[in-house]
Amino acid sequence: MASAANPADIQPRQVANKADKQALLDAIRMTLAVQSPAVRHNTQTFNRNRYAVTARLADYDALKDRAREIKQNAIANLPELLRQLETSVKANGGQFYLAKTAADANRYVCDVLTRHQAKLVVKGKSITSEEIKLNHAMEAAGVRVAETDLAEFILQVADEQPSHIVAPALHYSRERITALFKRKFATDLPLDTGEELTVFAREKLREQFIAADVGMSGANLIAADSGSLMLVESEGNIRMSCILPPVHIAIAGIEKVVPSRKDFGTFIELLPRSGTGQPLTSYVSILHPPLKASVFAAPGKQPKEAREFHLVLIDNGRSRMREDPALREALRCIRCSACLNSCANFETVGGHAFGGETYSGGIGGAWEAGTGKLLNARFSELCTGCSRCVNNCPVRIDIPWLNEVLRQRMNVEQSKSTAKSTFGAMTGSAPEDRVAPLQKQFFANYSSQARRATRFASLSNALTNLPFVRGLMESAVGLDRRRKLPPFPKHTWEELYRSEPNPTTARPGLPKVLMLADVFTNYGSPERGMAAIRLLRKVGFDIELSLALADGRAAISQGMIATAREQARGLAAMLLPHLDRGEIICVLEPSVLAMLRFDFAHLVDEATWAKFTLAKVLEPMQLVWSAKPELAGLFPASRSPHGTRVFYHSHCQQRTCNAAQETVEVLRACGFDIVTSSVECCGMAGSFGYKREYYELSMAVGEDLFAQVRAAEQDGPRTLVASGTSCHEQLWAGMGREVVHPAELLMSTVEVSRLSRS
Amino acid sequence: MQPATAQPSLLDEFTTAATNAVAKVQLIERSAEALRDAVLRAVGDAPRILYAAPQELPVELFVEFARDPRVRPNPTPEEMVASAAGVTEAFAGVASTGSVCIDISFERTGMVSLLAPLQVAVVAAETIVPQPRDLFRSDVLGGRGLERDFVFVTGPSATADMGPLVRGVHGPHKLHIIVLR
Repeated sequence: MASAANPADIQPRQVANKADKQALLDAIRMTLAVQSPAVRHNTQTFNRNRYAVTARLADYDALKDRAREIKQNAIANLPELLRQLETSVKANGGQFYLAKTAADANRYVCDVLTRHQAKLVVKGKSITSEEIKLNHAMEAAGVRVAETDLAEFILQVADEQPSHIVAPALHYSRERITALFKRKFATDLPLDTGEELTVFAREKLREQFIAADVGMSGANLIAADSGSLMLVESEGNIRMSCILPPVHIAIAGIEKVVPSRKDFGTFIELLPRSGTGQPLTSYVSILHPPLKASVFAAPGKQPKEAREFHLVLIDNGRSRMREDPALREALRCIRCSACLNSCANFETVGGHAFGGETYSGGIGGAWEAGTGKLLNARFSELCTGCSRCVNNCPVRIDIPWLNEVLRQRMNVEQSKSTAKSTFGAMTGSAPEDRVAPLQKQFFANYSSQARRATRFASLSNALTNLPFVRGLMESAVGLDRRRKLPPFPKHTWEELYRSEPNPTTARPGLPKVLMLADVFTNYGSPERGMAAIRLLRKVGFDIELSLALADGRAAISQGMIATAREQARGLAAMLLPHLDRGEIICVLEPSVLAMLRFDFAHLVDEATWAKFTLAKVLEPMQLVWSAKPELAGLFPASRSPHGTRVFYHSHCQQRTCNAAQETVEVLRACGFDIVTSSVECCGMAGSFGYKREYYELSMAVGEDLFAQVRAAEQDGPRTLVASGTSCHEQLWAGMGREVVHPAELLMSTVEVSRLSRS
Repeated sequence: MQPATAQPSLLDEFTTAATNAVAKVQLIERSAEALRDAVLRAVGDAPRILYAAPQELPVELFVEFARDPRVRPNPTPEEMVASAAGVTEAFAGVASTGSVCIDISFERTGMVSLLAPLQVAVVAAETIVPQPRDLFRSDVLGGRGLERDFVFVTGPSATADMGPLVRGVHGPHKLHIIVLR
């Protein structure tokens, strides 16, 4: 596809399918140019509200465990549940149809419409009906379709695909809706406020509700024991669609089935809270149709004698997903959108870039691949693995892992070449991964590139500062030349550690610590690593530095799972004897901490992973806090050459590991005046922000963080403090000044006091 | 039945949550006169009032109110789609969310509680349960939540699809809850 000159002219439908990579790049440019402010505002509102309401839910974690278990069992017993559901629906007096494909479902629905000589269908929001392109089928059969959810109404008027699975038109600002309606409806009515627009749409749709022959809805959940539906909404249009027309057709994927109506109790607490961040939406209907209530008599129309109900369940690839060890997990999804709203990239571009023809966000890739073709999941490249969605998913789906698996499969589907295979062999890709694009192999093998670069640091730094070298790197592996590269140090962390004597004695009672020489610190910022070691020694820990071994983080982020697995196994083998001796593993780089805590689950055997427990693998400031030292005396903020005013940005994966709060506590206890960021991710995300295709998106995401820094500095400057390597680079790029690690900040108070005494 | 000591706090929680959800809550004595006065005050000068007779609460409680000439127990199709207020009972309330549960499985309750701009729901204090999940337990309210076709109604209908939050979309624009002591 040719790239349009002006991104604002790109139509969302043109770039809905991103099997062609150019569509993804165009979609990013279009959304940044047109949709970003509305998407940011709406998703970030949902996100804030979700954190607030789930914090007030006393048994939030237990509910998530229960929800996960219910769905897992339901998927395991799905064929049996579907048989039971069919019996229940028929016993209620309804009709049941299980559609193998989208075409089957559309044919069945159109047959029902024809039988009733339906002219007008009113439809509540159903993303599943977008998946099967039901509206096209019904319109082709000569039936008028009125989308009655206001968001779907907007999309129908604009002819666009949904940009969000819960609020499908949240990429539209009020101003853009006004312009759209004025353009599409020739009207003199004032349409300049949300109220006026709502009144306009309501009146149009009220007539349709009353005149409709058939009402359609989706279903958030379906209970096999009773044929009950749970329908969550706020506008009232789903209630209208279900009870006004005499015929009700509900459409849903087979994964919506749970064993019992009793199970609704768990999901009614989780779904609205996880979605829009409300304790409950305005209306949650619990129905086992057909309704026994009187039939609605529309003015001037002969009412039907009885209500009719059809439940149309759609397979369309879901049974295949059920057999797939990775995609099976996606069937647990209850479409709440928490993974979209907690994703920094999604918050910036929305589902027209970070999404396909139907599904969007972190979970969207698995659904597009599962119900369509693998390459339709190309947009899942925008998942950086930051992991912020993981703790927010009410059914505990490991969404980053799903996207890493998809990336691996897409790597394989790309063409093989000698260049890729030779480059892979040189840089350390596992044989299976040598099919991956050059760019992916380059970033995946960070440790081997960095090892060479630090060995000849002066030469590497001189070379990477040459414009033509950056040009070459940009064209060969897609490293964006606008991104400033941090210099490679002359000595690695391992070398500095060996050259420094250890004069301190350990405090009795503290555990022995093995500091992992993660490759990012080892080759990128060894001084930071030494500051952490000196800090822990000063607190009283007996600490030793490990060998620098690749951990698999860089490889897994590129979907090179075989390489990641080899590296993770090697690292685990090195660390296990230390764990067996009762030592604590300390990890400075949060992305590697997350590797050991979470990703190892997929990469090493279960018995090994079980040993990498929360209590045994810690971030340095967690160790400091656990030792309960006299912080104000040891590291008095007043002595810091950086001043006492700081802005602290914790790392995304550090927060997912629940390993960030201790840093704030420690800095406070030392007397620092600390303001913390509240963004989900800085936008750098390892190699993501270095890639030519994503540089602009990465900087746009970073803008939220930079704006928070500026806001915090309105009453005077603050020292920038961050825990992650990527966050340092992003803040450095965005704010143009030095960023320190908490360990460096604390040690600066000691270095100064040492100086002042001498 | 809830233990007598727990009831006041549950009612307080319900009132706070419903108010946060932009519903009006009014606590009254359990008598036909008090109910008539409360409902008529809530509907103001509405020219026509839809009404669905209760299944749970004694119908005698509603007789005084139903005598008002504006009340339409058997509305024509035209009246059904163009009335200012709709009055129904709610068979349960939910304290944590301020919701009322409307059984829509009989007669016109579903339409009466949906089509008019003002919804009035009458709920007995002893049917207020702590959380939404309690409606899905067989040992709460006789397991009615496991059998009925019903709607959790939390505040008026609302949307944010047109930009800012707007109350009053396809469903009622206002919700008035009358709690019977």
